[in-house]
Amino acid sequence: MDMDVLLGIGRFVLATTLLLLLTIPTAFIIIQIELKVIALMQLRIGPNRVGPRGIFQSTIHGFKVLAKEDAVPDQADRATFTLAPWMVYMAAAMSMLVIPFAPGAIAADMNIGVIYFFAVLGLSVVGLLVAGWSSYNKYSLLGGLRSAAQMVSYEIPLTLSVVGVVILTGSLNFTEIINHQLAHGWNLWWQILGFPVFFIAATAEINRAPFDLVEADSEIVAGPFTEYSGMRFGFFFFAEYVALFIMSTIMVALFFGGWLAPWPFPAQLGGFAGTIYGLVWFFAKTYFFVFFAVWMRATLPRIRVDQLMGVAWKVLLPLALVNLFLTAVAVVAFNL
Amino acid sequence: MTAVDPETRIPDPIDLDRAEEERLRAAAGMGPAPASSGAGGEYAGFELVGVPDRPLQTEREVEMYTLEEGEMLVNMGPQHPSTHGVLRLVIKVRGEVVTDLDPVFGYLHRGIEKLCENATYTTVLTYVDPMDYLASMHNEHAPAIAFEKLYGIKAPPRAEYIRALVVELNRVFSHGLMIGFLALDMGGLTPILYSFINRDEVVELLASISGQRMLFNFFRVGGVNWDTNDEFLSRLGTWHANVRKTIGYNEKLITENEIFRGRTRGMGVLTPEQAIAYGVSGPNLRASGVPFDVRRAHPYSIYNELEFDVITQQSGDVYARYLQRIAEIKQSLHLIDQIMDKMPHGPVQAQVPGIIRPRPGRAYAAIESPRGLYSVYAISDGGQTPYRFRMRDPSFITLQVMPVLMPGHLIADTMAVMASLDPVMGGVDK
Repeated sequence: MDMDVLLGIGRFVLATTLLLLLTIPTAFIIIQIELKVIALMQLRIGPNRVGPRGIFQSTIHGFKVLAKEDAVPDQADRATFTLAPWMVYMAAAMSMLVIPFAPGAIAADMNIGVIYFFAVLGLSVVGLLVAGWSSYNKYSLLGGLRSAAQMVSYEIPLTLSVVGVVILTGSLNFTEIINHQLAHGWNLWWQILGFPVFFIAATAEINRAPFDLVEADSEIVAGPFTEYSGMRFGFFFFAEYVALFIMSTIMVALFFGGWLAPWPFPAQLGGFAGTIYGLVWFFAKTYFFVFFAVWMRATLPRIRVDQLMGVAWKVLLPLALVNLFLTAVAVVAFNL
Repeated sequence: MTAVDPETRIPDPIDLDRAEEERLRAAAGMGPAPASSGAGGEYAGFELVGVPDRPLQTEREVEMYTLEEGEMLVNMGPQHPSTHGVLRLVIKVRGEVVTDLDPVFGYLHRGIEKLCENATYTTVLTYVDPMDYLASMHNEHAPAIAFEKLYGIKAPPRAEYIRALVVELNRVFSHGLMIGFLALDMGGLTPILYSFINRDEVVELLASISGQRMLFNFFRVGGVNWDTNDEFLSRLGTWHANVRKTIGYNEKLITENEIFRGRTRGMGVLTPEQAIAYGVSGPNLRASGVPFDVRRAHPYSIYNELEFDVITQQSGDVYARYLQRIAEIKQSLHLIDQIMDKMPHGPVQAQVPGIIRPRPGRAYAAIESPRGLYSVYAISDGGQTPYRFRMRDPSFITLQVMPVLMPGHLIADTMAVMASLDPVMGGVDK
């Protein structure tokens, strides 16, 4: 066999292993942020028992989930019931392949990275629908149908708002999109209309507050996750926070210059130092948006299901189309 | 291995479920389940879980539990994250749209009325505390007045002022909690915590005068248990200086919030006619525009000496009920100011023997609790315990309008409407 092929396979295995391993601390960190930040916003102390200042609270939650009984409802469709958490988790984990962490730190720098990302992330709706259907529970069923309606609707404005960026930068490759921003400034400034649409649609796509209708605990208990326990529930829970993380990373890559520093001196460095420098900025920006999502969750009540669909089809979709039109006209007229 | 005797075999749970299903279908008059071949056979009866496990008795029940094509029953509660304790709502839905609703009560029934009929008049006041557990002071107020009427005594003026003070304090935190729970049932996580800041301060305040945090046991026939003390007065001063700020947290977070307004305006509209027809009272009635407040309509205690207006809203929707609570909190603060200004000196307890034996007769006392008209009807046969002791709890009456308000709304609105009516299951189930 060719040496290049072997190297390629080795690189792929290494990258996917690292990414899968990355999901675990990522979920723990975000859950910990959520526990602590919401507590502070609610004038509580928050978890402070496990580890210094309670920093291992989410980790111990993770291990607790492992130790729990794995109950399956009598009437549940066992095969699909078992498979659903994996589908949701793998959709989140697989989409991490194209995340541009730093120069040279991309698992697969494919030329259709943007398309791949949204295609794979969209798969998680299948998992949620399957979970809702196979649980033999009415709350699960309602939650599953809600997830299908919500995620399919919001994918349209979400992807349309990204098309603006793609037209502007002329590429579907994340590295090129970021390098374009090095030359022309953050896409945010060129996509003043596109970014809000993307932000709202992305929040809805990953079922975060105020769009967390899928698992609206005060209405449908836990939606598709109602009947899940033990590590199966843990996978859903993990996937949710990993999805928040990757949606933040993609927001950073598309609109906030990815690994680029916010100032031009220097926006990026070469070599290994450049990778570290990029990683620092990338994670700093990403966790800002994670924090922002937590902040929204502490502040906003939940939107209702008909309002949710109204926002998608009556507000976001027209705005995304207007943005697309304006971007296309601007690119042609000013030869950007 | 020996063959299992079919007579003694323990039935498979799945077989039991099938039998249950058949019984449910028969109860709903739907005939036997279709054979499990073909689409949906495995899920037959799924939509019917929630039908009462007894023959349907009234036309209303038959109407409620007979499903049309595409409808199913969703059984919310008694174990559900947001049914305020053990309220059970059987909801008939078509997709997400509620077509009918049946509130089921009784999961918290403790027989408080019967307990009270076996207790002496002085000890009855300890049993009524856990009824409406967010308004324990009000729970004690009505029986105290009723028994004083029965026995023919009057509480001293200072006792009446202290009573008015503690019930208004209680009203402040009860309405505050309603705002928090309303937001919580709509997915807002934070307001409830802010409500509890104020609630905890008031509860500590009341504990410093009564000795207990939740079930105060503060009222006595012919007065109150304790006079005000230094700790109470200093706490009251601190609380009073901060309370507008702590209530303001929630107002800032909720009142102008676009999502909150979008979800509450025009939702669960209770017309004045419906409200009166169903006997709804209290803030829910006033939010529908009917200016009825027991404190004004049938003044008791010292309320005819205080200046206040009956606040009303116009629209009668969830948002109006929210605004009504906010306005009433401010009104209560205003009343507390007046009470503290006017409070006379003197004893807080009339001379009453340990065991009261009123002459045979009957007495009725109604007060304005945070949930509406709370009244007590007591009959004495001359013995040391009430012959009959009846309590009208406003939550129980208020929840009866749920089937009227809900059809056409979504499942998510069920929780908002229910929370806006502010039921307390301890009072509903007694």
